[in-house]
Parts: sequence; structure tokens; C-alpha cells
Amino acid sequence: MITVGIDSGSSTTKAVLLEDSKQLAYTIIPTEFDFVKASEKAYFDVISQSDVQEGDIGHVYSTGYGRKNIGLAERSISEITAHALGTSYLFPEIKGIIDIGGQDNKVISVEHGKVLDFLMNDKCAAGTGKFLEYTARALNIDINDLGDLWFMSKEPALITSMCTVFAESEVISLRTQGILKEDIAAGLIKSIANKVAIMAKRINLHNSHGPIAFVGGVAKNRGIHAALEQEISTTLLVPPEPQITGALGAALYES
Amino acid sequence: MPELKTMEYLKKIYKKRVNELQELRNNGVKVIGTFCIFVPDELIFAAGADRTILCGGKNETIPLAEQYLPRNICPLIKSSLGSIVNDGCSGIDSCAHFGLVDMIIAENTCDGKKKMYEILDDFIPTYVIDLPQRPDTDIALQYFLQELESLKTELELFTGNEITSTKLLDRIKESNEIRKLLHQLYCERKRDPSPISGVDVLKIMQKQFFLSPTEFKHILKMVIEEIEHIQPEQESNTKPRVMIAGCPLSGGNTKVPKIIEERGGVIVCEESCTGTRSFWDLVDEDENKDPMLSLSQRYINIPCSCMSPNKKRLESVVDLAQEFNVDGVIYYTLQFCHGYNIEAYNVQKELKKAGIPMLSIETDYSDSDIEQLGVRIDAFLEMIS
Repeated sequence: MITVGIDSGSSTTKAVLLEDSKQLAYTIIPTEFDFVKASEKAYFDVISQSDVQEGDIGHVYSTGYGRKNIGLAERSISEITAHALGTSYLFPEIKGIIDIGGQDNKVISVEHGKVLDFLMNDKCAAGTGKFLEYTARALNIDINDLGDLWFMSKEPALITSMCTVFAESEVISLRTQGILKEDIAAGLIKSIANKVAIMAKRINLHNSHGPIAFVGGVAKNRGIHAALEQEISTTLLVPPEPQITGALGAALYES
Repeated sequence: MPELKTMEYLKKIYKKRVNELQELRNNGVKVIGTFCIFVPDELIFAAGADRTILCGGKNETIPLAEQYLPRNICPLIKSSLGSIVNDGCSGIDSCAHFGLVDMIIAENTCDGKKKMYEILDDFIPTYVIDLPQRPDTDIALQYFLQELESLKTELELFTGNEITSTKLLDRIKESNEIRKLLHQLYCERKRDPSPISGVDVLKIMQKQFFLSPTEFKHILKMVIEEIEHIQPEQESNTKPRVMIAGCPLSGGNTKVPKIIEERGGVIVCEESCTGTRSFWDLVDEDENKDPMLSLSQRYINIPCSCMSPNKKRLESVVDLAQEFNVDGVIYYTLQFCHGYNIEAYNVQKELKKAGIPMLSIETDYSDSDIEQLGVRIDAFLEMIS
């Protein structure tokens, strides 16, 4: 049986193609304006990458922010369920998942792929990929380099604002005080890690007896990974491609 | 679920009631505005007045209120004041009945409402009853009884009618009749599958303190008779049964219940002011007892989050969840409603002990978070199915 999972996210669209639960192909493309177009492009991407015909595809399931609009999919599941399925498939022993995406972050407590409890950030961008994107801009550096600065800092600056807009002005004010770039960057990373760690503690993830996985686009950022491990005092498992666990979970979903 | 005739009937009721209130006023009957289920309407009716609830559930009138109130307070408070101060010049619609009251009887529940009432008094004479916040002591009961006695005097002065014990007892009996009918309606929802949607019940509940008792009784009888015979299709049996617990859902606000039911859940109970809190306990009808004392005993026991400690509410949430056999509880808080928001922690703790999952939601009246709420609710329904 060949299945495709499409994760229609706010920043990127991901697709995974499986044959009998074995991953044949995946893709990650920018979502841009049109969710539907991006999902179609991702879908045909994974088909052309693997040696299958469109007609051979048994099921297509969608997840992510735009999941309800994906005409290709026969049904959609929530990101929470999808991440739980996908991540538990990669790490069968995990008890918790931390996912930081472009627009939201979630913490999930799981057992054998089944969701026991979860929490998502509220309406605001604090602690999400967007927070990093904006504040990296205020530091005048590329978002991909932000994480490396974590390891260079000896004394992370204290960032008190949770609000993305105000944090940006806080960064500018720290710059005028002559604080080192790496210390400001480390301060930002610490503040996002702290926000997410509090969420994780609210659903008791730090006391779950088993490994915790870190997924989503932001999990690629080594600095945040390290800072988050420090905040919740445990090692976090990051899959080789942490951005596709939602799409993988959707592909694994059987109704 | 088929559309109920009662719901059709309900659509036409608003205009009818507004005309009725207008007519009453033309004939010299006083109309009192209220905001809360702590105000015993038995007293208002016994004084020969009528009452209508003024809690706002509409987003549109919020900007009007922000001329007077801070931005960061609860939407219910802002929407309510906005509807009252609306002079119609801004082109914003608010319900006509907000302009029909001669006086307001309010109550000291949360800080936001308390302070809003002080401003409201500039627009409509507002009388506020005080509530003791530790309700389970004798002294609190004595105090609350005194407060109701003062309210009684105020109402007698305002209407020119004496509130006799006989009149009061009659009104208590009538209100109890409504409470019993509501118990009957809620009892139907214990069936699996439930014969009525939560959104429909909510729309009925939102009219409880808006309509006259006679009309509301009529509606309850109509809906009970209609759903008694409904045998819902067995397939809807797979829908997860959800209870909403938390803040009131005032008239015009059906946002979250709609999302829950559109996404495959069915709401079978509301632990809310627009739910069980408004009718669960009856008033003692013992004729050998002072009816004012009976009123005080019943009303002081309403498990609102403004009370502390609030063990009664924690117990009642778990009891209701079990009684209505729910798969999960969706805890509903309005933004900046600190009482219900903070109490979510203890409610979750108690529900966890009882093995009942809970999802906490904080929202306002705007549509901006419908998608975000949808994701959480989808995930929760997937989790409990």
C-alpha cells in the first residue's frame, strides 16, 4: 500500500510518500501564498522522486494549518495526532514531543503513538519560529546563524519581553548599550527555550519516564536544541529530518 | 440531527419580547436589567416588575465600550457596556432591549464587572448587591440575607409595590417549575446519542433570563416534547460526548460550541451560567420558612469562580462529567476572566483524578482565532474518540 501525507504548514509545505510504512520520498517547499498550489506541488514532487505512478497511491491524508483545503486528501487529521504518529514511528519509546513550527509550538504527551495530553501556544507568536525570524532581523544576522551564536556566548543577555514586536525593540535597545551580538542572540534563544520549557512542564513532560523528541523546523537550530535541553534538564531526540514528522504521521494514518 | 420546530419558533421570539417590554413600560410596569444569575429574579417579579438580561455576547459593540473601559478586560463586560452606551450614531447594531430598562440590578462578582457598574451608573441607575466571597459560613448567609432584604426595600420603593411573602412564594414556585423543566431537558441529553445539539440547547439557555417566565416555560415544554420522541441515528453514537465548563456564553456568542459540534463532537452538558449553574438547585418552598431565607440559601450556593475556596464547583464539575457520561471536558475561559482562568488548574487536577480528559481554551468574541481553536479542538476530539 502506498500512502502520501501532506503537512500544509504556515511557512512550509511538507509531503512524505510511504510504501508499506517504508519511506520512499519526502519534500519540503515554501508554502508561499497559495496553500493548495503548494500542496499539489509537494504531492507531485514525492511522486516523481519515487518510482510510483499516481494511480498506485492508495491513500492521501493531510494535516497542518491548511489541511482542510487540500482537495487531494481524502481526509485530514490534526497536527497533534500527526506529530504523535510520525514521531512515535521514528522513536517508538518516546513519551513526549516538543514541536516548534513557524507559527505555533506544541508540547504533546504520548504513549505508543497515542496522544494523552497536549498544549499549544495561544494566539501570540512568542516562542515560535516567527519570534526567531523577527529578532534575527533586528540583530542583522541570518536566522540560520542565530543558533551558532548560542555556543559563542559567555553571558546571555536578559530578554524580558515575550512579545515578538517588543522583543525586537528590546534587541535594538541592547545593541545601543553595546552588548555583544552573541550575548543578545543567546538571550533570545534562552527566552524562547524558557517559554517552551514552561509549556512542557505544564503537562508534566519533564517527569515522563521516557525520552522526549524535538521536532519542527526550529529543531534544526542547534542553539535552541542545546538551550532547550538545558531548560528541561534532559536530552532531546531530534530526527534526521525534524520538519517532516507531521507529514509522516499523516501518511501513516489509517482510517 | 433534524432542525427542531422549537428553534424555528425561537428565531421569531426576540422581536416579540422587545415589543412586549415596550408595551409593559407604556403601561407603567418597570423593567429591570440584570447581568448575573446571583440576582434572584423572584424578587423582581414579586415587586410587579419584569426583567431582562443585559450580558453582551456580540463583538461589534466592544469598540464602543473601549471609550470608557481599558482594552485588556473581559469581552463580556466590554460588549455589555458597549450595547448600553451605543447611541446608534456609529452604525453599529446592538440589541434593542439594552435600551429598554428603567434600572439595573447588578452584583459584586468579579472585579471587572464591579468597576464597570460604577461607570454604568452614569447611564442607567444601577443598584449593586454585595456578595460574600466565602459562602459556606453562617455569617456569610446572614450578610447575604441582609443584602437581599435591602434589595427588596429598594425594589419596593422603585416600583411602589409591596413584596409580600405570599407573592414571593408564588414566584419562587414559578421559578422552581422552570428549574425542574430544565432538569428534564438536561436529562434527555444523558441519552446516548443525545437527541439535541449543544448549540440548540445553548440558544435556548441564552433566552432564560431574557424572556418572561411564561414564554420560557412554553419553549421548554415545546422542546422537551419534541425531543422525547427523537431516536437519533445510531451512527451519531460514535460522536465524542463533550461537556463545556467555565465562563458564561452570553446571547450572540456561540463561537466555541459551534466549532466543537462542526468538528464532530456533541455537547451534552454545560457547567456554566448559561447551563447548570443557572438552574441546578431549587429554592426551598417550605411555607413555614421565611422565603427570603430560602432565597438566600439557594443563591449563595451558586458555584461561581468569584467564590473562594470553591470546592463546591470542583466537585460539581466532576459530578456532572460523570452523570452525563462525557468523554472529555472543554474548559472555556473568556480572555482576562481571571477567576475561571486560574481555577482551570484545580478543575484539571480533579478531572485527572477521575480519569476525565480536559482541554483548556481561552478566547474572546472575535473570529480571529477560529482556526487555532479548531486545531486544538480537532486534536482533543481525536484524542478522546
